[in-house]
Amino acid sequence: MSSLKSTPDSKDYWRSLDRLLESPAVREAVGEGAENEFPAGASDAPGGVDRRSMLTLMGASFALAGLEGCRRPVETIVPYVSAPEYVVPGIPKRYATTLPAGAGAHGVVVESHEGRPTKIEGNELHPSSLGAANTWTQAEILNLFDPDRSTSVQRRAAGETAHRPSSWKFFDAFLAERRPELEANGGEGLAVLSGTYSSPTLARLATKLASRFPKSRWVVYEPFGDDNVFAGCEMAAGRPCRPVYHLEHARKILALDADILHTESESLAAARGFAAGRKAATPDDDMNRLYVVESALSLTGSVADHRVRLRSREIGAFATALARELGVEAAAGEATWPDAVDAKLKLLAADLAASTGEALVVAGRRQPPAVHALALAMNQALGALGRTVTLHDLEDAGTGDSQAVADLVGGMREGAVTTLLILGGNPVYTMPADLDFGAALASVEHTIHLSGYLDETSQQVAWHLPETHFLEAWGDARAAGGSPSVVQPLIAPLHGGRSAVEVLDRLFGDTPDAARSGYDVVRETWLEVLGAGDFERKWRRVLHDGVATDEVLGDRAPAAGRAEGAPTIRVGESPAAGPGAMDDSSGAGAGSDTLELTFHPSLATWDGRFANNAWLQELPDALTKITWDNAALISPATAEQFDLASGDLVTLGYRDRTLDVPVFVLPGQADGSVALALGYGRTAAGRVGDGVGVNAYLLRHSAAPDFDGGLSLTKIKGSYELCQTQEHWDMEGRDLVREATLAAGFAGEKLDPEKSHQLFPSHDYSQGPQWGLAIDLGSCIGCNACVVACQSENNIPVVGKEQVGRGREMHWLRIDRYFSGTPDDPEVAFQPVPCMHCENAPCEQVCPVAATVHDRDGLNAMVYNRCIGTRYCSNNCPYKVRRFNFFNYTKDTPELMKMAMNPDVTVRSRGVMEKCTYCVQRISEARIAGKRQGREIADGEIKTACQQTCPTEAIVFGDIRDPESEVSRWKASDRDYVLLGELNNRPRTSYLARVRNPNPEWV
Amino acid sequence: MRTKLLALVAVLVVATGCWRGATSPRPPWHPNPNMDNQPKYRPQAASAFFYDGATMRLPVEGTVARGELHEDTAFYTGLDERGQLVAQIPIEVDDALLERGRERYGIYCAPCHHQRGNGKGVLWDRAQIQSADLHEERLRSAPDGQIFDVITNGLGLMSGYKYPIPPADRWAIVAYVRRLQSEAGS
Repeated sequence: MSSLKSTPDSKDYWRSLDRLLESPAVREAVGEGAENEFPAGASDAPGGVDRRSMLTLMGASFALAGLEGCRRPVETIVPYVSAPEYVVPGIPKRYATTLPAGAGAHGVVVESHEGRPTKIEGNELHPSSLGAANTWTQAEILNLFDPDRSTSVQRRAAGETAHRPSSWKFFDAFLAERRPELEANGGEGLAVLSGTYSSPTLARLATKLASRFPKSRWVVYEPFGDDNVFAGCEMAAGRPCRPVYHLEHARKILALDADILHTESESLAAARGFAAGRKAATPDDDMNRLYVVESALSLTGSVADHRVRLRSREIGAFATALARELGVEAAAGEATWPDAVDAKLKLLAADLAASTGEALVVAGRRQPPAVHALALAMNQALGALGRTVTLHDLEDAGTGDSQAVADLVGGMREGAVTTLLILGGNPVYTMPADLDFGAALASVEHTIHLSGYLDETSQQVAWHLPETHFLEAWGDARAAGGSPSVVQPLIAPLHGGRSAVEVLDRLFGDTPDAARSGYDVVRETWLEVLGAGDFERKWRRVLHDGVATDEVLGDRAPAAGRAEGAPTIRVGESPAAGPGAMDDSSGAGAGSDTLELTFHPSLATWDGRFANNAWLQELPDALTKITWDNAALISPATAEQFDLASGDLVTLGYRDRTLDVPVFVLPGQADGSVALALGYGRTAAGRVGDGVGVNAYLLRHSAAPDFDGGLSLTKIKGSYELCQTQEHWDMEGRDLVREATLAAGFAGEKLDPEKSHQLFPSHDYSQGPQWGLAIDLGSCIGCNACVVACQSENNIPVVGKEQVGRGREMHWLRIDRYFSGTPDDPEVAFQPVPCMHCENAPCEQVCPVAATVHDRDGLNAMVYNRCIGTRYCSNNCPYKVRRFNFFNYTKDTPELMKMAMNPDVTVRSRGVMEKCTYCVQRISEARIAGKRQGREIADGEIKTACQQTCPTEAIVFGDIRDPESEVSRWKASDRDYVLLGELNNRPRTSYLARVRNPNPEWV
Repeated sequence: MRTKLLALVAVLVVATGCWRGATSPRPPWHPNPNMDNQPKYRPQAASAFFYDGATMRLPVEGTVARGELHEDTAFYTGLDERGQLVAQIPIEVDDALLERGRERYGIYCAPCHHQRGNGKGVLWDRAQIQSADLHEERLRSAPDGQIFDVITNGLGLMSGYKYPIPPADRWAIVAYVRRLQSEAGS
């Protein structure tokens, strides 16, 4: 068909390196053409004990029910004994609360069914989330109901090898016994180790600790903290501060090794601001331009208009040269790089300078403080301070300090620390290997670890205390801009745990035990935060909104960044100016031509804390599409140099340690740089996370925790199977992702449906609301938040690595990732693919039992209990969005996990086909509410789960019969197109072509 | 031959449904599960995890749900800012409200307090237990907020009705009780 390649600039997309190279393995795996649509083995039963079976073992409670066999289960009605006000069974309520996130906070709204939290969404009033939620935040609901959570205090007495169950009573008695001694010696030998926090209550308790026990110390360690950012800010502005970026005001953005849209702090607000600057409706509209200089391909690099590949070690020098180009007095050592990079640097500087006042330079947390100071100096030179970047005080925050951590570990070894209280975290696992925290722990007399799991650290301490989940306890946190908010619990602690606030408060022994709860402690703090006048009303307002707005705070609102004038950035006098400043990053005498190793948080498990979360483990990595594993990422050129292919095993040697890992060849990776994700290879995570992937912390060194040269790489015998969701459902060479550039315009050809063939008569779609969805590829950053939202909302099962390897993953919404250009320096495009809800649905015509049919609102509905599992529909679906329950994945759901299920959605059984429903339960909810109130459903009232959580607002849902609805306006755009339109399926889901804004002078 | 004969008899017994109508303490056969019983927590269902056996939990004390800010304490609790019972119904009393109140009173209050409010409803007829007579002087002179508070939280033998009756309907009942009292007085 002639209109196939109708986009203004068609590109040749390739889905993976293997695809590009047409390797035999791919031919064999996917078959050629239509004769073998599914990968080999996709119809085989699983063999051996796979991860699925291990999940199955969890269901002891359900095994009892199985005794009754084929008899109808007995159901009992259990009403409230004393029913609470405003709870109607079956109608969910929503509570605003806060997820503390390092030195910031994510405001969330949690759906509660009869007092049980079931889904986490963003809080639209909170400045750091703006209604969106990322993958990790949403997956917290699964952590809450994790059956592997610690359920009791565990104690290991001196001389014993194993822990024994104990109780809070004994721990309180232990504290009471220790307290007089500590009070007598001023807290000599007492140390508290926590993660980064930004909490008024924790800060107040830390101050109290310092005054009550003046010789005690509080040390903060965070595997991926913003310590470099804060140090750089202090270096430049002369006082401790943090930059907050306002991408919505920026026209030119440069990210230096900074994944500002996903893994850096405040990424949700940054993504929203970035997308706001890219919603061009016509070629005449304004659009921002994003430059990224980085070593490992990140999501930000993927959506950049221009990306420069540089090793992380070279980025400091690049920043210095750029700063000089922009007129910042910054001397630094000479760097050598190809002329092409130099030319790009000059173009970059010119383009940034052309948008003075509307440009922004951001450095990543991986880069040393000097680079952050340089970035601030560049921002000042570009007139960005106070406009696209504001500096804020670090209020109520505890931030990391590597020297203090080293001192603490030294003190522990020497016996200077006698009582160590570890509040959360898992330092035995997450500390750099050279510190050997586990061994140091053995020299401390009294060790206490507050933790949600009996993890690697808990196993080595005398007292393990079960920590509450953030949805179970009171607390508070400050957002990056300083706005405070309260963490309000959604449910009473499931396992009788205590929060960090409660444990600390009891340390002082001021009040009889059990008399004070976290609620009282937090309210005491907030009497100061809000002021005593009219406290009760303000407090309720804060709980309701989920954030203390400036209106509530009045003159107590956070001061920094609002009216403050630009501080003097004195980078010329700062250590950044010294030539040695950049050498800090390059580690122990490593030559510039040696291989570089960079450490990254896992996009699934972060620093390892989400290792036992099956949703995240099965979530395909945004770029590699690997599930259930990590791998050393290398560029195609590096792979060629070492004769490596994806899945080969290598030994990485760094300093005096070695690690065997599989490699994965990722286009776009900087040559000579190896990227390794931390957070895998846990040994005490739980049934899901144990033994998944390789523990890269074993290579991390405290002298260069983020990146360093001097890496050796040796290919070893053998290979490892990395399970990806990549090679399935290949859509051979059609223009699925359409792109345009702002300059060239984007009026694409549209198909005329009247001219197309149609085998069956159309349905009548002239009445009632007709639902449709539009996805803006120009805004999509591939962050996977929608995939987790869909999984959480729609009770989608997890199938395990082996099943993923057979192409049986169940995600209703997948994100396809396409590369174009050269393998070394590709351009990347993301495309979320849910069910298209075709008006002429091919799946419906082949179902022998009418299990998939159209409803009058235009939804392609699935009738689960009619389905007999022929899978004809899946075969006939051109988009491959249908998912089949090959096994009874939910049969042995543990009792706790049942609580994480959405009560409004069917939990499917074996032999049933399923797929995206456009969140039909939400449509029904709105329809019923509208009917009760005697009104029509308003546009925007129904938000699908994916739309609701999207950080960039790339998805819109609504009634396409209403020409005024948002979705109709999107679909009327010139950029609108449908997938495989020539088939005349008339999909209700359509896409807006991606628009790039390249620099016309770019080389 | 004999075994075959016995087998035939057995088959006939089953085939002709000789056990039809027989009772069994066990639940009926249900060979096709058909997703009738799903591993998820539904409202008013039983839980094997919580000590009280219920899937429904109480909201944590002190939390505020979205849409339940309820800054108008007079309307939602019958108490003013100082914690005193309000003297007057905080919403406008009109015919529609009184009609709503009459209807709600008939559903929730009349069984004990009687349609005329004399405290001799069906409870008196069946068990000679008298409920409060709404025409007593102490109730006629009580502030409106007190009647609202008693409907909300209960008093003595009477349990609270905050769960089934929303605040607006409670005020409608208060208005209707006032109407009953004034009619009886005239």
